[in-house]
Amino acid sequence: MTSFLTFTILGLVLGAVYAIAASGLVLTYTTSGIFNFAHGAQAMLGTFLYWQLTYGWGWPMWLSLVVVVGLAGPAMGALLHMLIMRGLRETADVTKIVVTVAIMLGMVYLSQWIWHPEEARVTEMFFGANAKIELGGVVVRVHELVCLVVAVAVAIGLRLLFTRTRAGVVMRGAVDDPDLLRLNGHDPDRIAMLSWAMGSTLAVLAGILVTPIGGGALEANQLTLLVIDAFAAAMFGRLRSIPRTFTGAMVLGMTATYVMAYFPTDWTWAGNLRVSLPMIILFVVLIVLPQDRLRVAAVRTRERYRPPTPRSAAVWGAALVAAVFLLALLLDDGSITTFALGMTFAIVALSLTLLTGYAGELNLAPLSFGAVATITGFHFGVTGSGLASRLTLWGVLLAVLVTAVVGGLVALPALRLRGLYLALATMAFGVFLSNMVLRDTTEHTLFGVTFSIFPNGTLIVPPLQVGPFDLRDPRTLLMTATVLFALIGVGLAALRASGYGRRLAAMKDSPAAAAMLGQNLVKLKFGVFMLSAAIAGLGGLLMASAGGSVSGDNFAIMSSLALVMLTVVGGIGYISGALFGGLVSGVGFTIMVGTFNDLATAHPSMESIYKTIGQLLVVATALIGMGVGKNPSGTVHDIVEGYRTLRGARALLAGAAAVEAVLYGLALTGVIGNWWFAILTACLVMALPVAGRMRAAAPVRRTPPELAGVAEPYSDELRERLDRELGLPARERMAKEASVHAVA
Amino acid sequence: MNEQAPLLELTGVRAAYGPIQVLHGVDLRVHPGSVVALLGPNGGGKSTTMKVCAGLLPLTGGELRLAGRRVNGITAQDAARLGICSIPEGRGVFPNLTVRENLWAATGTGARLADLEEAAYTRFPILGERRHQLAGSLSGGQQQMLALSRALGTDPVILLLDELSMGLAPMIVTRMYETVAQLVAEGLSVLVAEQFARAVLPIADTAALMLHGRVVASGRPGDIEDQLSSSYLGG
Ligand SMILES: Nc1ncnc2c1ncn2[C@@H]1O[C@H](COP(=O)(O)OP(=O)(O)OP(=O)(O)O)[C@@H](O)[C@H]1O
Ligand SMILES: [Mg+2]
Repeated sequence: MTSFLTFTILGLVLGAVYAIAASGLVLTYTTSGIFNFAHGAQAMLGTFLYWQLTYGWGWPMWLSLVVVVGLAGPAMGALLHMLIMRGLRETADVTKIVVTVAIMLGMVYLSQWIWHPEEARVTEMFFGANAKIELGGVVVRVHELVCLVVAVAVAIGLRLLFTRTRAGVVMRGAVDDPDLLRLNGHDPDRIAMLSWAMGSTLAVLAGILVTPIGGGALEANQLTLLVIDAFAAAMFGRLRSIPRTFTGAMVLGMTATYVMAYFPTDWTWAGNLRVSLPMIILFVVLIVLPQDRLRVAAVRTRERYRPPTPRSAAVWGAALVAAVFLLALLLDDGSITTFALGMTFAIVALSLTLLTGYAGELNLAPLSFGAVATITGFHFGVTGSGLASRLTLWGVLLAVLVTAVVGGLVALPALRLRGLYLALATMAFGVFLSNMVLRDTTEHTLFGVTFSIFPNGTLIVPPLQVGPFDLRDPRTLLMTATVLFALIGVGLAALRASGYGRRLAAMKDSPAAAAMLGQNLVKLKFGVFMLSAAIAGLGGLLMASAGGSVSGDNFAIMSSLALVMLTVVGGIGYISGALFGGLVSGVGFTIMVGTFNDLATAHPSMESIYKTIGQLLVVATALIGMGVGKNPSGTVHDIVEGYRTLRGARALLAGAAAVEAVLYGLALTGVIGNWWFAILTACLVMALPVAGRMRAAAPVRRTPPELAGVAEPYSDELRERLDRELGLPARERMAKEASVHAVA
Repeated sequence: MNEQAPLLELTGVRAAYGPIQVLHGVDLRVHPGSVVALLGPNGGGKSTTMKVCAGLLPLTGGELRLAGRRVNGITAQDAARLGICSIPEGRGVFPNLTVRENLWAATGTGARLADLEEAAYTRFPILGERRHQLAGSLSGGQQQMLALSRALGTDPVILLLDELSMGLAPMIVTRMYETVAQLVAEGLSVLVAEQFARAVLPIADTAALMLHGRVVASGRPGDIEDQLSSSYLGG
């Protein structure tokens, strides 16, 4: 009985910390409509800062608490709001999610830079681990009591704030209608800033309280994910109700403790289950709780995409294959393998172009589907042994098929979900897979067969061989991956241009309207999710075999999130956006850090500078992710828009092509190094739009769009210009259809 | 009365949503204690004019004057504190706050909650009965009453009403305008945008007809009503 009580209290304490973290999340969500994925990272940064002050610099504990919780926490929230969140109004769910994910990744990179991960850091309990009190036969640590008291205080404080103060009432109104708030004489920005400051403080508080309970050294990823567990609690309250959030947190905390306490010790997977329990609960809660109704009106968002025609996609695909082939001639085998690895990531990223760019649904764990394919391929698709072992074509097909089915199974319960909720469900799946399946290294015996899902923690995935095609050769691997990317890309463009693609687009723009037109949304979503999972599976399996061996870490949720973020940065509606996202997240980091580390070794006097630049670049990628808020359509969109000025500038383009050809020739013959080639090419690419703009800068004072066609003939050119300025899709097809009708 | 300086004056006001210009030079005056009805077909720019007056949409040209002072670029919250009470089209309440909390939010301009509650519950007793009900679950008419209550207790200088009649039964519309008429009798100035002129013309002193982002005619309500029908029928 005593032990039961002890465990119950432990559960309550864990629940209390979850509750503190989750209420901060609810606070910012209700006032700004932004679900803050960076909440856990904020907690992590605060805790590291607390460690630095107290243990690093030996400040008295109370002083560092005041500084961290009282100053740094609120300041971090207010800054986030002022610099980033404020700019996220009128953006799509995807953009909001990606920006906060980028902040999370940026904070994790930053903390790993400041506090080197290999050093062990421990924070101790308040009043020490030995300060205990006996309550009715149960021994409780003072620290645990502090957690409970703080949680109760937070609960009461928030309740009073929201119902008894005008500021709190106004906060609740802010999410409905910020404009109406302004008409009532309030400043929505100030209110949102207040809520971000409070939310951030609660996150920091939760981080500091929970770290000593978990024990062990501070670790950035782990601490971030720990607070992410609180997402489940927040979801209990449907991101709105604080009391229900607290209840959810307590359920969560106690279940986790009981699982740890009462599951038989020889169930080796019980530990893994405990870790992934919050995500399982999150998944279940998402599915079981009633959902918001479909929004009736289409949201006016700032994102703009221009889908390519299948023909132009085919041309660009061929150009890509040719360019990669030429480029490969310049590279040595090692670089080619790295390049090929990046290309396989790009294939995974294509799954996002389809799912997010075309259908408007979000999958935050694309690499987890890659993991499913890898496991299937490893167990069922390999022939031969040792160096002669090869992945078979049938194995690849089977793996892709299984992944599609798993994708369907994951999506099936989640089909009712939309936007943020579906994103969270996929993330829950990803974390669950990482914790339960990819860590399952022990042997099981089931129906007389002994096996282990992830033996030794690494899978050796051999390269694919089809007839004479042996992907062990890096060049063949690279070209195969590139051709596959191009083929899938062209296929996607064709899909987007088909009736099916237009149905997807309709679902993305206005689910309610699409449903009213008789579309079966569930079927549509199910199909597109399976297709997207299959693409991710193919890319993931190729990635595993390109690298030779993979561990569970290769599929970690942080890597998935980085891939999603960079694909959105590139332009989620564009196939080239997937290429950018895949290459940068797959191998960009490695190359950046590797290059600067090489430089550092080569020039010992400049070592620290080079290393710093390498780290800065990594953090900078997260910064461009945050920039998505300013430019939600993506980088590729900008580049394409830039090149639009060059239309018709034949001489300029031909000249540029000639210069590029000369550069390539010089690089091939070894006159200039590869780096010079890369840098000069980049300069050329950047300079072209500038030149184009200068050419086009001839003073054209154009009529504003609403007056166009009044004083001048309504030509096709004018119509095209209007389409472009208003961000409407190309008219070609409609024009063609119209002429057909006219003939008829 | 026209010798007095106008309380609210728009001269050549232009405004745009992104690249699309919607107001092409609007001229309009509201004199103290008068009711100006802004009429016109859908898409004429009435709501946009209201937004400009309330500070929600910046001007791209022309002048906005409040009591003779040029206030171009004023923010909505400052306008509200200066006494411009604007009830926007369709949704003048916070659906997820209770009736009482809605009134509380309305005290952002400096009024006292108790005064607001008293004024609202006396005028619309039904609101008093429902004070702890979520505004979103009130009927359309009750929601408009709640929205209008903001004008009752905060003592504004000028009231901007956009499409008060939208989706309401004629009887309720009449009652709402009775309330407005009473406020006017107490000295309030009102600018009201309506598509359907019948409801508002009886209490209006001046009417202005808006077409394609311009005020094309203004004058006595009766005269404008005659022009109105022709503009609806494709004039
Ligand atoms: N948020 C917006 N973004 C872009 N254009 C808009 C926006 N709101 C209104 N418009 C355009 O501005 C023009 C004027 O709209 P406005 O709402 O002012 O008309 P209105 O006279 O109030 O019409 P109604 O009687 O239908 O309410 C319309 O052509 C409309 O399409
Ligand atoms: Mg209107």
